[in-house]
Amino acid sequence: MSVIDILTRVNSICKKYDRYDVVKQNDSNFSADDAFAKLYSVFDADIEVALQKAETASKEKNRASTVATNAEIRRTKARLLEEIPKLQRLAVKKVKGLSSQEFAARNDLVLSLPERIQAIPDGTPAAPKQTGGWGASASRPEIKFDSDGRFKDGYFEQTKESSQFREEYEMRKMKQDQGLDVIAEGLDTLKNMAHDMNEEFDKQVPLMDEIDTKVDKASSDLKNTNVKLKDTVTQLRSSRNFCIDIVLLIIILGIAAYLYNVLK
Amino acid sequence: MASSSSDPQNLITKADNLTTLSFTRWNADWINATVLYEQAANAFKIAKDYERAKSAYEKASKGQEMLSSPWEAAKNMESAGAMSKELRNWREVGDFYRRASELYIECGRSQAASDALAKGARALEDSQPEEAIKLYTDACTILEEDGGEQMTFDLYRAAASVYIKQEKYTDAASFLLKLGLAADKCNATNSQTKAYLSAIIVYLYAQDFKQAEKCYNDCSQIDGFLRNDHGRCASKLLTAFKDGDIEEIKRITQSSIISNLDHVIIRLARKLPMGDVNALKANSDTIKDEEEPLDENDLT
Repeated sequence: MSVIDILTRVNSICKKYDRYDVVKQNDSNFSADDAFAKLYSVFDADIEVALQKAETASKEKNRASTVATNAEIRRTKARLLEEIPKLQRLAVKKVKGLSSQEFAARNDLVLSLPERIQAIPDGTPAAPKQTGGWGASASRPEIKFDSDGRFKDGYFEQTKESSQFREEYEMRKMKQDQGLDVIAEGLDTLKNMAHDMNEEFDKQVPLMDEIDTKVDKASSDLKNTNVKLKDTVTQLRSSRNFCIDIVLLIIILGIAAYLYNVLK
Repeated sequence: MASSSSDPQNLITKADNLTTLSFTRWNADWINATVLYEQAANAFKIAKDYERAKSAYEKASKGQEMLSSPWEAAKNMESAGAMSKELRNWREVGDFYRRASELYIECGRSQAASDALAKGARALEDSQPEEAIKLYTDACTILEEDGGEQMTFDLYRAAASVYIKQEKYTDAASFLLKLGLAADKCNATNSQTKAYLSAIIVYLYAQDFKQAEKCYNDCSQIDGFLRNDHGRCASKLLTAFKDGDIEEIKRITQSSIISNLDHVIIRLARKLPMGDVNALKANSDTIKDEEEPLDENDLT
């Protein structure tokens, strides 16, 4: 018989006996309007996932991932326990198309949920069973540590990995300390230089003020001198003076020529 | 003309002729003479004839005085001082620089006056340290009178280092404290605290633990010092000394705070602890013992 034949046979048999499939029945029975049913199926799915995680956690070799998974499981459990009151409220609501027996059964289902949730293994050793576990868990469970004091023999023994981890941690811490020391020294030098620069600038401020006043005075002096010089130069080279000079020169030449003529 | 102007000796003789009064000359011609003197002095300096350059500068300065320009006169005096430094004529160096600073004060330029004195002091540091110290102190006084304390820091530090070279530690410490005072007036807290720390280190180097403690107590009155890095370093140093912990002292002196001080002080600090630290410790212990019986019996 080939694989394809086996597959087709299995499919037909499944189809034939579908109505005996509880899980599928549950899914198909719940209509879209039934909020309780939806929520309950969500709860169921969550509990399944948590149980699977617990399985993997128990098989894990790496302690860190075990701890992480256990923490997740505990978180899920706490969340589910919180949502149970909601479910209870939905349970008492009447939904059409539901028989009275099923209605009663719903309440029982809701009440059995807390126990199922608590039963999910999450790394804590089994707590003693609480009496009257039917009551809604309004009080918070006591805060406990991972273990309850019953340490096994090899509890504090260091495995090879943990001691290696510790060594690496120490080495890294030492390197960080060295680096921080270098930075601290650099910062000290910078601080000192900054302080000295600050004081130097403070010293320079009055000097700059003095320079400012002196330069102002010098520039105003220069302006005055320039103006005076301009006046003097224009006076010196004024055209009037030139004309007077030329006229006087001509007169002298004339007188000289006249004298020359007379004495000739 | 070129030959006579480039021959400085000729210039000098010409200038002398212009200035000496004689039968034919009734007024000394200082203007031209000064110009000639300065030219001659520069020429001598280039020729490295320091003796003649010095005398030429002196005469030029006198000429400028006659022309009532004390600034130029002071400048010429300073140059004369520099020449006599080359000649290693230390007495004259001091004289020239003092005269220069007097002329500067005539101009009303106190900063320049103190600069002149500081230059003189620096020139005399190795040969005549006492004279150098005097010049430094005078320079500081001039500045402080005119309200320019900020410039005094360097002068005080230089004077303190001269004292330390002479191994006069108390004087050095007192100068450092004066530095602190000047810094306080200018609100230069960093320099102030550095000065106090340096003073304490100098006292410790001189093995004068009492003084060091007293100094620390005095300086703790100042808020800035108490809370500053330098103050904390000082208190750590003193406790380390009291406990006689040599390792701790060495560690503190290697720290970066000490390395930011003046290099003379750093050298001192690295040499700490001087002498017997335990002796210091024993000394302080015995004093404490003496005090205790007094406390019990003395009810005043």
